[in-house]
Amino acid sequence: MIAALAREWRLLAGPARLGLIVLAALASVAVALGLADAAATRADIARVGALEARETQSIAAFAKGDAGEFGYYRNFPVWRAPGDLAFLAPARGDAVPAVMRIRILALEGQINDNETANPELLLTGRFDFAFVTLYLAPLLLIALLHDLWSGEREAGRLAALDSLPRARHRLWSPRVVLRAGGVALALLVPLAVGGLIEGTAPLRLGAAAALVLASLGFWMIVTLGVARVHAASATQAAVLAGLWFAITLVVPAAAHLAINAAVALADAAAIARENREEVHAGWDRPKAETMARFVALYPAYRDQSANGTAFEWKWYFAFQQLGDDAVVTDSVARDAGIARREAWAQRLGWLLPPLKAAQTMQQLAGSDVTADLAFKTQVRVFHRRLREYHYPYMFGGRPMDDTDVAGAPDFATFLSPVGTNGTDLGL
Amino acid sequence: MSRVRAIAVAQLRLFGRSRLAVVALVLLAMLSAIAAITGAAQASRMAADRATAQVAANTEFANQPDRHPHRMVHYGTYALRPLGPLAAFDPGVDAFAGSLIYLEGHRQNATTLGAARESSGLIRFGQLTPAFVLRVLVPLLLVFVGFAMIVAERQAGLFTLQLTHGANAGELIAGKALALAVVAGVAALPALAALGWSAAQSPAEAGIAALMALAALLWLGLWVLGITLVSARARSAQSALMALVLAWAVLVVLVPRAAAGVAALAHPLPTKAETDLIIHQELRALGDSHNPNDPHFAEFKAGLLKRYGVSRVEDLPFNFRGALSAEGERLTSQLFARHAADTAAVQMQQHRLLALVGVISPAVGFAQASMAGAATDLASHIAFLDAAEAHRYRLIQSLNGLHTYQVRGADDAARNKDPIAERQSRVSARFWADQKPFQHAGPTMADRMAGMLPGLAAMLLWAVLLSWQLVRSGRQEQS
Repeated sequence: MIAALAREWRLLAGPARLGLIVLAALASVAVALGLADAAATRADIARVGALEARETQSIAAFAKGDAGEFGYYRNFPVWRAPGDLAFLAPARGDAVPAVMRIRILALEGQINDNETANPELLLTGRFDFAFVTLYLAPLLLIALLHDLWSGEREAGRLAALDSLPRARHRLWSPRVVLRAGGVALALLVPLAVGGLIEGTAPLRLGAAAALVLASLGFWMIVTLGVARVHAASATQAAVLAGLWFAITLVVPAAAHLAINAAVALADAAAIARENREEVHAGWDRPKAETMARFVALYPAYRDQSANGTAFEWKWYFAFQQLGDDAVVTDSVARDAGIARREAWAQRLGWLLPPLKAAQTMQQLAGSDVTADLAFKTQVRVFHRRLREYHYPYMFGGRPMDDTDVAGAPDFATFLSPVGTNGTDLGL
Repeated sequence: MSRVRAIAVAQLRLFGRSRLAVVALVLLAMLSAIAAITGAAQASRMAADRATAQVAANTEFANQPDRHPHRMVHYGTYALRPLGPLAAFDPGVDAFAGSLIYLEGHRQNATTLGAARESSGLIRFGQLTPAFVLRVLVPLLLVFVGFAMIVAERQAGLFTLQLTHGANAGELIAGKALALAVVAGVAALPALAALGWSAAQSPAEAGIAALMALAALLWLGLWVLGITLVSARARSAQSALMALVLAWAVLVVLVPRAAAGVAALAHPLPTKAETDLIIHQELRALGDSHNPNDPHFAEFKAGLLKRYGVSRVEDLPFNFRGALSAEGERLTSQLFARHAADTAAVQMQQHRLLALVGVISPAVGFAQASMAGAATDLASHIAFLDAAEAHRYRLIQSLNGLHTYQVRGADDAARNKDPIAERQSRVSARFWADQKPFQHAGPTMADRMAGMLPGLAAMLLWAVLLSWQLVRSGRQEQS
């Protein structure tokens, strides 16, 4: 077998060899870019954390233990740390921020904030490992395998080759194994190196590698199926390129249109305005009414009252929360609509294996829509944790000393497995 | 010339007999039609939604009750990015750029919304729009239709036969190219019809729409020239096809993405969170309004007292608190403007790097030209952000003006203790209706045309190069 493979490598035409080398180079560059992106995102998160700590110190200087001042001015960073496979399809520079700062004020006006990304770069799409694997590698595979038989036929050698004893075993199998294996190696070696550098869990790295092989396997079966048909090599190439084109470009784009038309979403601008109306109406409503509604949500503060003309933080934070409460159902339902759109796309993936491979790779990288939505859910839960930590100070009038300020929930500990147990995720 | 036409007609008949070509053309026409119709429907719905949301925001602001002006500073308003009529043809960056900004005092908020955040992951595969059809799909169709038109005849010995019968190689090549150009024109028709329909909706856009159509035809013309050239020079039909599909994959799919990756790496953008924190830091260095002994604000106060020849702020002829708010807003907004300009500068650097790559891959140049024409490019988005910030600053300072001149200082000072002072510190609701609502017409026609120039120039350069090579090929075939 080894001798047969060596022979096939020698027989491989110059452009084909070059193709394999270029694919390996592109995959390596993509992995390197992905690793750099993941590192840059981690650095972004760390820098924001450090700057925020300093910011909190300066707030402490004028807040003088007043929980209301802290509640108003203090920001808490929340983030999505890149996972050990983020380098496959990194999300840096996406519209969804990798790191953001939230306050205890009404969350609705904060949670949909976009990153200051360059939309032109997002429109173009990413050059990442997922792109190389799912767009470019199939093209090379098609180029290498489509004329496996027709090429020899057109050269007038097919009958002679087929008449060799055990031709299939001695000739065609090594040829397919070498060419498809070459494409696979060009992808898997950079992937493995990336995984080693990132210290990716072996099982997850194995899953990524299996995904690469599954995608290549699909295209290999399709290509060999077409190559088997008795036709001119140019026709076979045209049919395969057309299939690739339909599967990776046309069908997903058309399906995107159809899904967005089929699953309508509530008007987000209207939700944002309603939230603002609710929050600001708090200023004009009788204080007692606001407090009564808030206490219905948090009976522990039953004995708290606010009335009169003077500004009181507890009343202010009570109507912030009532503003969120007024729209949380609509807002969560809207996110559920986005999840439904994604679910339809996932269903389509079962019909188009390359699409499913792309979606699964995004999932492994943590840059898919489900991860975006999960992050939003985490932020909602964390925001509640923050509010409830500060309420006893705001509503009890207890001053926050340095330990209390430092003891506020931290997204890092919130994210640890103990912090996100299932019961907390119910909104 | 008539011989060129005769050759073209004969070639078109041959195309017509190829089942693959006809099926592909019909499929493409259907896709184009879907893209055009859904594009027009979606764009007009989005444009209407945004216009409605803008009116709702303006109305809600105008209808607020009597209030303290600073309450309106925090109530704020919204700016929505308008969508021009040609966005139906090329929505450009629209899906990836937030379309809503909440404008309030003390803060410069991030954009929100955007189709990319509310769609399934499929949006990353590209959007089926008329511009996408022209940029991505039609060239590949032309490759499939035309790759063999010369090389197959030569392989069959027909080309030499025609030459020995007195045909001129240049005319033969020109005739084939003309036939492929006709196919390109037919393939582009539905998308261009969509462009024409959008332009017909608003005649002011007709001129720029014509320029966009020209850009599209130039782009497809490059493919006609390139395919003819490769088909004339290739050794076999198969190698012609491989070379052309490879060229398509590299120029249309690979290079734009790789260029975007390089641009992001070469000119990194800081996160919004970090920028905000740095602004806070710089703000503290400028003047801390929380600190009663802050040097900047102390100086500001002393300056006012001196100018009006009084010793206490209570004796000023206006409300000192309002003036203080206006001064604070001025300081923060200076920083917002500077950092927004920095961000925009980095984004434009990234954009220019892509434009440079447009010389290597005219697909980038065509995309940039098309978006610039449709007013859906990066520059249009930045223009919207600038307009929104300018409106925010004007509105907030106008409200601070009301705070300064319409609210008595004594009422303002006592409004937290005295219900009557609180009542009197409220300003009449009619002032809210007097505020000018947000209006943004988008970039000027001249800016849009100027934005198209680099892409057009890159494509022209390619057209000249390919034509020259094609003429050389004709001469070589002849001798």
